[in-house]
Amino acid sequence: MPKALISNQIRRLRFESGEMTQQELADQVGCTRQTIVVLEKGRYVPSLSLAFQIARVFDKSVDQVFEYQGP
Amino acid sequence: MLIMWIITGIVGAAAVMIGLFRFAAAWRPQPDRGDLPTTPLERLGWTGLWVTGAVGAGMVVLAATNGAARLYENDASRRIFTILLLVGIAVWAAVWRVVSRPQGGAVIDERDRDILARSFSVESVVVILSLVLWTVVLTEVYGDEGAVPIGYLQLIFWSTFILGAFGRSLGIVLGYRRGPMVDA
Repeated sequence: MPKALISNQIRRLRFESGEMTQQELADQVGCTRQTIVVLEKGRYVPSLSLAFQIARVFDKSVDQVFEYQGP
Repeated sequence: MLIMWIITGIVGAAAVMIGLFRFAAAWRPQPDRGDLPTTPLERLGWTGLWVTGAVGAGMVVLAATNGAARLYENDASRRIFTILLLVGIAVWAAVWRVVSRPQGGAVIDERDRDILARSFSVESVVVILSLVLWTVVLTEVYGDEGAVPIGYLQLIFWSTFILGAFGRSLGIVLGYRRGPMVDA
């Protein structure tokens, strides 16, 4: 099964949100900082639930934060 | 009897090859992990490796000095082994208490749970291989006598317990070392 490629704008949105740190974002969505790091590097695809939580923190819709680029 | 060993050998060799392949794949050079912080579960995995390694080594030393079959019949060696095991569990629990202190965010999130679930496959392989090894060795050594000393039952149980915990810890550590996890 081909792997899905999903890019995201988390890093940019963090800096646009008053230079929010990775730890602050992790605290708000209830995950570890390592998960935020691998998310920003595109090495992990979050669950729908986490994706919605992250989008809510930035007051954006999911498709404004995540973009599907897979096959 | 011969066919059983042939099947055991083929299955065992296949399991070892699959295990080695996965192990080598997990330890290949990883993309820029430099600034990646460790998670509480990852630290617990490393602690588990050290603790089970130490307890397992202690068990091997006790078995070598007292004789494997008599390890659990001898009061002194049984006491030492029990203390070793309790100290190992205490260290593991103490480390978990320290690394799982709330520091904001989450102690275990969805990615950690995924890695924890995947670690079960490593634990299964390690446990099955150890049971295969016990079966082959005991059959070869005591096959003619038709009976195995009762002390080995304790040894099989505790070695499986320790190797299971070792396999689970190894699976956790390997889970974090794996490359891109974009198919979660």
